[in-house]
Amino acid sequence: MQWLLALETNGDPITSCRLMNIFRRKGVSIVTLAMAARTEGFSVVALVETPEHEVDHIFNFLRRVEGVENVTYYRHEPEGDASFVFIDADADSSSLARFLQTFPESKLIFGSHGKYLLEIPGDRKPSSASLDFGKQEILPFARVKSSIPQPELVAAQT
Amino acid sequence: MGRQFNGSEILLESLRRENVEVFFGLPGGVVLPLYDALYSSGIRHLLVRHEQAAAFAADGYARVTGRVGVCLGTSGPGATNLTTGLTSAMMDSIPVVALTGQVALPLIGKDAFQECDTIGISMPSTKRSFLVRSAADLPSVIHQAFKTAISGRPGPVLVDLPKSVLMESAEPTYPTTPGIAQLERIREWKDEDIERAAEMILESRRAVLYAGGGVIAANAWQELRELAELTHIPVTTTLMGLGAFPSAHPLSLGMLGMHGSYATNQSICNCDLLIGVGVRFDDRVTGRLKDFASLAKKIHIDVDPAELNKNVRVDIGLIGDARETLRALLEVLKRRLPEGKDLTPPARRQWLQRIESWRSEYPLTYDKYGHAVKPQYVIQTLSHYAAEDAIASVDVGQHQMWAAQYWEFRKPRTWLSSSGLGSMGYGFPAAMGAQLAFPNRQVIAIVGDGGFQMTLNDLATVAQYRVPVKIAIINNRSLGMVRQWQEIFFEKRYCDIDLTFSPDFAKLAESYGIRGVRVDHRTDVPDAVRDFLSDREPRLIDFWLDPAENVYPIVPPGGSLAEMVVEPPRVLVEEEEALDDLWAV
Ligand SMILES: Cc1ncc(C[n+]2csc(CCOP(=O)(O)OP(=O)(O)O)c2C)c(N)n1
Ligand SMILES: [Mg+2]
Repeated sequence: MQWLLALETNGDPITSCRLMNIFRRKGVSIVTLAMAARTEGFSVVALVETPEHEVDHIFNFLRRVEGVENVTYYRHEPEGDASFVFIDADADSSSLARFLQTFPESKLIFGSHGKYLLEIPGDRKPSSASLDFGKQEILPFARVKSSIPQPELVAAQT
Repeated sequence: MGRQFNGSEILLESLRRENVEVFFGLPGGVVLPLYDALYSSGIRHLLVRHEQAAAFAADGYARVTGRVGVCLGTSGPGATNLTTGLTSAMMDSIPVVALTGQVALPLIGKDAFQECDTIGISMPSTKRSFLVRSAADLPSVIHQAFKTAISGRPGPVLVDLPKSVLMESAEPTYPTTPGIAQLERIREWKDEDIERAAEMILESRRAVLYAGGGVIAANAWQELRELAELTHIPVTTTLMGLGAFPSAHPLSLGMLGMHGSYATNQSICNCDLLIGVGVRFDDRVTGRLKDFASLAKKIHIDVDPAELNKNVRVDIGLIGDARETLRALLEVLKRRLPEGKDLTPPARRQWLQRIESWRSEYPLTYDKYGHAVKPQYVIQTLSHYAAEDAIASVDVGQHQMWAAQYWEFRKPRTWLSSSGLGSMGYGFPAAMGAQLAFPNRQVIAIVGDGGFQMTLNDLATVAQYRVPVKIAIINNRSLGMVRQWQEIFFEKRYCDIDLTFSPDFAKLAESYGIRGVRVDHRTDVPDAVRDFLSDREPRLIDFWLDPAENVYPIVPPGGSLAEMVVEPPRVLVEEEEALDDLWAV
């Protein structure tokens, strides 16, 4: 099952090394990953493949790693309503442009190397049909848990 | 401008401010400036003979005090030699700060002499590692390192110190150090979770408390005992939790798992509620996971959220410091109970009786009548004559399991064992570290003839500083635990477990100026032990014992706790003779 992990770490590169090592050790297979440097640290977004019963443990493991400041994980929602989309467009940014035309009020959470994580405001949740731009690269997600306190999260099914 | 100090002086002052009284290490090129500053500092440093011993000693110091233990190695091999000790501390959640020398900043990454990627190597073996880039950063880095090591789930932290940083001058600003008591205690549960857990406890008829190292790390043993006594729930401990509950207490079940007693493992198989406190459902505890406490609802209290539902799914997970969480639970339970009401419903009384009957059916026992020195008897005798607050530090192997089974645990923080990593060579140097923390208490290293040979070079250290550690070698002339597995699980195809070519340990000790004796008759054991414990000098006894003795009960690897083998199968005479030949006793 696919999940999206979004992490923010401190500025010490060893924290990012630890993250990669944790993915390896915990058997999390990375489908795609992007990393960006922020002023005070790094942001990492990883689309991963891991069984449902493991993901909560991985989230908890990551959130207590020294140097990891925030972790959020999202569940892939191919059918249901989703408030987030992950766009994996490589060098071609046309799908991002098309998406923003349909949902201009979307908030960019992360963007690097043609990978974008966007939040769509609550009143305009896209249905799977509205996301069908004829490409596989726009994936809908629902936020499950975050170490940043959030008002409402979808129930974890683990 | 304020006064300038060099990095080494700032480092030592930072350690002093963290209340470091002693640390263990061995010098080398890049840390020479530090040893130069140490020459005139008030901090005590013990010169070990191998850095692994420094790391184990720091771990032993930390376990008995609950404070951070400190070790040091030079760059390159000094740092790599520390890593086994750090990995062991990581597995057992022991607060250790390791200081490592590093080549000067401009040389890092250039494959300089004795350069290694210490930060990279230590990454999976530490909670966090720091490379210090300026002497001015030292006060805050050291403070953070100590805080990280001791807070939340404790563990080792490494601080890599380039030579240039140790030499450069800076004007230090020291952070104010909050005492350990002021550290924030983790608490993520909500009151209603505690209420639900209390409800579950009150409804249960066959509950068991399963306590681990987290109880000791959080100083929660009084709360554990109060909960057990209030609810009449028996307590089993993991190898890490030994000492958290007194063995002589009527509600004590001793250790569970692979070498747990019949009654203990039966109680796990039959309980209807399992309350895990500071435990991690390790495979040596659970046996086959799907059968572990399969009839029970489960409550799990742990400070580390990643431990919840990691191996075993639980009904209620309470993320929080063990002491705070148990206190909250006790408060609710007491409120729910009218004053003086007995919390022992008939069902629970029946449960305790059932456990008692399992205990009498298959008690932990061994042959007490032959001439041979039995290891269990040695442990019992040591425990019997040891002071109330004596500290036992074990190595890894059969003797470790016999000690876990037969030592009488009276107090917490008196049991040192490399439990998660199971690193041979741990017992003796850890005892040395504990002895430095408590110079006036008895510290007994109970070691195997195999493991002792991994770190016995530090006999020189205890001799040099007259560290009065008592070393009891449980000498079976073999890698006993491996021999036992080859005997039971590999059809007696004994391969490379023979340690007959070992030194005469008593004579070896004498060569270091330490009194040593060999004891090879059962009847000599009590006198020898009394004499051994009678003075304040390092001493060694080489207990020369029955080499064929095995640890029972045993749960075969991959088996469920219900499948434990309680007693040794009867040995045929010819096979006994074959063994005699093998070890030429
Ligand atoms: C560093 C290390 N190497 C190998 C092992 C595997 N091992 C576990 S127990 C054991 C035998 C230990 O022999 P000894 O110290 O004589 O203790 P005994 O089992 O005989 O009591 C071995 C080799 C280990 N735990 N640690
Ligand atoms: Mg042995």
